[in-house]
Amino acid sequence: MLSRVGIICFAASYAIVLAMEVSRLVFRSGIRGAIMIAWAGAGLFAHTVYLYYRAVNTTGVPLSSWQDWCLAAAWALMAVYLYLLFFHPQTSIGLFLLPIVLGLIATAAFFAGVTPFPREPASKVWGVIHGASLVAAAVSMLLGLAAGLMYLWQTRRLKQKRPLGQGLRLPSLEWLQRTNHRAIIIALIMLGIGVLGGMILNSIDHRPGQDRLPLSDPLVLSTIIMFFWLSAAVVVSLAYKPARQGRKVVYLTLISFVFLAAALVMGLSLDTRHGGRRNIEKSNVQERERQEKLEKG
Amino acid sequence: MLQVVGCSHHNTAIELREKLAFSPAQTPDALDRWRRVFPRTEAVLLSTCNRVEIYSASEADVEPSLEQAASFLADFHGLDAKLIIQHLYLHSDEAAVRHLFTVASSLDSMVVGEPQILGQVKEAYQTAMLQENTGPLLHSVFQAALHAARRVASETAIHQRRVSIPSVAVADFGRQIFERFDDKHVVVIGAGEMAAETLRYLREEGAHQITIINRSFQRASELAPHWHGRAIAWDQLHEALATADLIVSTTGAGEPIVRLADFQRIERARFGRPLFILDLGVPRDFDPAIGARPDVYLYSIDDLQEACLRNKALRDKEFPHAMRIIDQETALFMTEWRHRAVAPVIEQLRRGWRKPMEDELKRLLNKLPNLDDRARDEIRQSFDRLVNKLLPPPLESLRDESSRGVPRALIEALAKLFKLKD
Repeated sequence: MLSRVGIICFAASYAIVLAMEVSRLVFRSGIRGAIMIAWAGAGLFAHTVYLYYRAVNTTGVPLSSWQDWCLAAAWALMAVYLYLLFFHPQTSIGLFLLPIVLGLIATAAFFAGVTPFPREPASKVWGVIHGASLVAAAVSMLLGLAAGLMYLWQTRRLKQKRPLGQGLRLPSLEWLQRTNHRAIIIALIMLGIGVLGGMILNSIDHRPGQDRLPLSDPLVLSTIIMFFWLSAAVVVSLAYKPARQGRKVVYLTLISFVFLAAALVMGLSLDTRHGGRRNIEKSNVQERERQEKLEKG
Repeated sequence: MLQVVGCSHHNTAIELREKLAFSPAQTPDALDRWRRVFPRTEAVLLSTCNRVEIYSASEADVEPSLEQAASFLADFHGLDAKLIIQHLYLHSDEAAVRHLFTVASSLDSMVVGEPQILGQVKEAYQTAMLQENTGPLLHSVFQAALHAARRVASETAIHQRRVSIPSVAVADFGRQIFERFDDKHVVVIGAGEMAAETLRYLREEGAHQITIINRSFQRASELAPHWHGRAIAWDQLHEALATADLIVSTTGAGEPIVRLADFQRIERARFGRPLFILDLGVPRDFDPAIGARPDVYLYSIDDLQEACLRNKALRDKEFPHAMRIIDQETALFMTEWRHRAVAPVIEQLRRGWRKPMEDELKRLLNKLPNLDDRARDEIRQSFDRLVNKLLPPPLESLRDESSRGVPRALIEALAKLFKLKD
């Protein structure tokens, strides 16, 4: 119950900030920027406290469940938004980023009952590296998605020769293109570290009869495909100049997001080595048995 | 009293304004001379391409008259005072405050909302401060003017709405495409005022790689140093298009100089880099179909004029709101100004009556040592009530007169009648 209240607290703050972003389209205000920074900061603070609370009081380590994973990704995106709000207060980046943040929080709340990741692997150092770098890769791809959508919107406006709208000021195409390109590269690096971390973790925990590289696991398979896709996209963009200019960069980012979304859906809805919905009853029974053993001592 | 004397684009032709203008080198000399001619008067000199104004203030109400100010300007520039006096205006007190606030907020500019004037007002104020020509009166009014200008800038969109073609091109469209201009290659095809004006805005944004192409290489070479660029021959046009990030075209040729087929040939060499084309030629220099190519943003003079008209309409909508802010800030400033003028007198009057009251009370209580505390309190309260009943009428008169301006005559009369001292 307390966890739901906590999530509602910072989610509500973010929703208020989103409402203020929308209000920019309607009327001007000299103090709205400061209020937005205050609300976003307060929400991020509550979010930080919540994650810390979960890390300290929940068995396991941070990022050991899909809920934590989604909330950590939302936290990172919100931190980026707050930075951009502070240094680029005139732009309406929040209209694109905040719905993604709220979407991640909603996913975390909705899928709170999904089986967490197996505790032992998650608690090892390589488990933390594996989880954290995959979160970073996802955050980077989501930022790329937001930048890509803004790029397409801005291009359409400029092609239609429409002037700046009331309140809806987006970054320049050059900034958005650069952000897109960097997002893909950072996502690739983080994903690479995550995949490598997963392979090392697998080697440490390897049991006889188990696959060293469990390609039959849908989440693992989709992540590796995503890694190869991103590698190809980055190599092509570095080798072929047009691929890192204009709309081509955006299309690469959007396709990357499709891979990410597919991986996320698989992780949440299928039975995988990283937990999953179908195993929820089995996991609850196992958890009860473990607790009983601990009590017996 | 505060006063402004000057001329502007509203009532004075540019030829006379140019003769009356002060260069940055002349301004300190002018302020120095002003201090010698009018020693008890603070002054700030504002000289821009559209106005020349002297803001002056004096505690002792010794601001120069219109004739004196005209003589000062005429003497400094070697002109005939009789010729310039008819072009000068004079505003005093509240009208002068409102005028300064309006000027600083760019609401009196030739292009309303242009942002340069605020910087010019700040610079004029800072120069006068360095020359020690300012005092408490001008400090407070200029600080209030800067505050009013910031309010107008943050609470209205008036500065965001550009209304000249080159400024719309660069600010409304160019800056939406490019984050920076210092690493962009600008190609100028042709010549003309519009191209020069657009280049000015681009150079302000940091653009410095400029290539000039003209059918006459000699003409391009003449323009190159003037526009801080390099000239190339006409037959290198396509190579220039391949490397350009931004093109400004004003040839006014009878038919397009770049057709779709020509552009498609150089497209591959561009590697999909965004291209911003300002086709300011009439008729158009670029085939409109080029604007449909991916990553090409082509704007004709009609497109930009349409944007200008839209911006002007939006700016006109913002103007009443901006003037309401000016009215509010002027009223606030004048209330504080009058209060500042009247407050010392009120304080002196209070002190002047309190002192004798305290002395008399002390003398009476000493003469009646057997009074109990209750009686003493009653007597003290009676004396207080007596003074409090005598004070309100003159204070109310002061406040009533203040609503019409600083009541100097009444303040002097009170000071004389009651022998008020600082």
